[in-house]
Amino acid sequence: MSSMESDGALAGLRVLDLANYRGGLCARLLADMGADVIKIEPPGGEAGRRIGPFVDNRPHRDRSLFFWFYNLNKRAVTLDLQRPAATAIVKRLASAADLIIENFAPGRLAELGLGWEVLEQVNPALILLSIAPFGQTGPYRDFRADDTVLAAEAGMLYVNGRPGHQPVRPLGLQAYHSASYFGAIAALCALFARDRDGRGQWIDLSMQEATAAAVEHVAGSYFGEGRIEPRRGTLHWSRYFRVGRCRDGYIMHCTLGDWTSLVEWVKADGKAQDLTEPQWDDVLYRAAHAEHLFDVLDEWVKDYTCEELLERAQALRLPYASVRPPEALFADEQLAARGYFVEVEHPELGRRFRYPGAPYCFGRSPWRVYRRPPLLGEHTGEVFGDELGLAADEMAALAAEGII
Amino acid sequence: MAPLPLAGIRVLDFTWVVAGPVATRLLADFGAEVIKLERKPGPPGSRQTGLQGDLHRNKRSIAVNMAHPRGVEIARRLAALSDVVIDNFSARVMRSWGMDYASLQAVKPDIICVSMSGLGHSGPRANYVSYGPTLQALSGFTLLMRDSSDAPVGYGYSYADMVGGYTGALATLMALRYRQRTGCGQFVDLAQFEALVSVIGPSLLEIAVNGRPSAPPYYRSQEMPAAPHGVYRCRARDDDDDRWIALSVQSQAEWERFVKVLETPAWSREPRFQTLYLRMKNQAELDRHIEEWTRAQVAEEAMALLQRAGIAAGVVNNGADLCARNPQLGAREFWGRVPLPDGSSTQVTGIPARLSRTPGTIRTPSPLIGSANEYVLGELLGYDAAARARLIDDGAVWA
Repeated sequence: MSSMESDGALAGLRVLDLANYRGGLCARLLADMGADVIKIEPPGGEAGRRIGPFVDNRPHRDRSLFFWFYNLNKRAVTLDLQRPAATAIVKRLASAADLIIENFAPGRLAELGLGWEVLEQVNPALILLSIAPFGQTGPYRDFRADDTVLAAEAGMLYVNGRPGHQPVRPLGLQAYHSASYFGAIAALCALFARDRDGRGQWIDLSMQEATAAAVEHVAGSYFGEGRIEPRRGTLHWSRYFRVGRCRDGYIMHCTLGDWTSLVEWVKADGKAQDLTEPQWDDVLYRAAHAEHLFDVLDEWVKDYTCEELLERAQALRLPYASVRPPEALFADEQLAARGYFVEVEHPELGRRFRYPGAPYCFGRSPWRVYRRPPLLGEHTGEVFGDELGLAADEMAALAAEGII
Repeated sequence: MAPLPLAGIRVLDFTWVVAGPVATRLLADFGAEVIKLERKPGPPGSRQTGLQGDLHRNKRSIAVNMAHPRGVEIARRLAALSDVVIDNFSARVMRSWGMDYASLQAVKPDIICVSMSGLGHSGPRANYVSYGPTLQALSGFTLLMRDSSDAPVGYGYSYADMVGGYTGALATLMALRYRQRTGCGQFVDLAQFEALVSVIGPSLLEIAVNGRPSAPPYYRSQEMPAAPHGVYRCRARDDDDDRWIALSVQSQAEWERFVKVLETPAWSREPRFQTLYLRMKNQAELDRHIEEWTRAQVAEEAMALLQRAGIAAGVVNNGADLCARNPQLGAREFWGRVPLPDGSSTQVTGIPARLSRTPGTIRTPSPLIGSANEYVLGELLGYDAAARARLIDDGAVWA
């Protein structure tokens, strides 16, 4: 079915992506590894095409950088699922697909005549991944949520920020991203189950649950010790990290590295105060008295520039880090040496753009850029005509009715 | 009942701290046999409850001394019986034991090795030590996550470790799919730094394409334009005044329903709030008005009122809200329970994706270190009782 040969880990996997931007990362993760992902959008395009930023700040459905990130390596067709003729086309696509990903409101797919009972009849080997804010069941099933509301409901917000002040929200849509990673993991697990008996299944993925699972410490502290994790400012809950301020910017302190090296350095600068006392050699003592420890270290770093401090810390193998903006990633030596950023050609714009690249480097079946993000309806003819076998006059009739 | 999806997959697990154990825990939840190879004595603190209970449930543990040649021999023999070997060390550690991919291919040609180091196996910083908070600082999370004080705040925990863990589990499954199709194993070099950087992709594209400097998002919508959009303080409950609600109002129809819930206060009719554009422009004043309303509301009640009107709203849940009182998580029985050897039980994080036929399961608590020594050394590797005793006497294995 794929129009391009693939050496990716998931070559041969056929995915119909009915999800909008809230679940868009899920199919993208699969497409990056060679799965043939066909994104099915309504005739006007999915909502993500209307979200900025846009190339050169010129809003257009094919110029959304937001859309580009979530749809690299996918093909795209348009189809108005509200129309009965469209339902028949989806069923024909489903009969040859391995996986369908959708994030309609719970129950909506069934209203469209494409519920799990129907799809299972069409293709018993099919896997259906349904992603919803609160899942397919329960009293919140029909509640609405965006990424911020999900992060709130999942406990991801409460623990970020200063005590008594407003909780701080993540950079990026991390509730959606957590759900997409879980969705991809679950879909692959369902493929392994299918290897045994040829049967697919329905996966109910709650974004609230996926996000709650992505909060490191909150449930563990509550179930383990009955403790409600508070906000601690920049002090990490483990009590080994806190942000400190140098003369020209911020750094991340870390008291897990070689303590002797750190304390000798601070002492040589005449700023060690009581840190030379032997009890500080014990890592657990350092955690227990973290506030005082970091107060002393803050006094010490305030006369350094970030660069001076970090250069010396690196030489001593102390895991200090600069608190820097994402711009710095483009100049990061380590990312550059590993070729993290990749160039993607957009021929219709006559330009190439640098995209963030692979989250993992596979020795044999590499992460790859197979194709730039699709223009609206770019593959409608290819998928419905060449691959599904709709005749030219059928296609013309569907187009005339606004179905494709 | 159908077997678990990953039944029959054996994972030799060298990982520790958080990211690596998250990855192998996901594989274990879905049925892989995960054997943790650990040192004794272990880290202080209980292993079976709290975060540690979450991280290591459904796994087995053997206590092997990798500084002893016979310990290394045990690890290599076990690798030969495994599908996946996974670690989160920097490059040199596995190589120093002869447990790197090139060496293990000799004992198991189709072995999959996944190494989840901090910064990757190549590049000038390959051997640097990193942790979740340092990676978050390097990636931009810490600097750009701020409140009104305008000093960097960042995450209160290691989101990097969770992303690293998910990415590690996903990479392992993809490599297993590849082996299924081609018969070939491979080495996966996963830098947790790169995994984390990848989840701020849209921000990076904007910098790369438009050259626009990054800025803290505060509570502006990072998706569909919305105003109001944010987190607002609510009425104290049981002497707890740290109560907040998150809400998001996008369309004009939503705004009209939202205003109705608030009983159309006079300010809501002011011209400067009548369109989304104007509401975004005057967001600070808008937020002040809304907080006047939310401060008089119990968060849970305000959420119910707003959701009934079709407005996205949710309580900023704390640990107890989340784990003990959330109606949705309760109704879906999200939190799991696992029996402990002493007859008691402990609650653990559940499995978010529910597979209708072959769901993941929570079967066994976090293992005591070395509790699977007999199974692994005896049943899998064929050392008889006398040979096992010798390994312990020699210091290659800890009893």
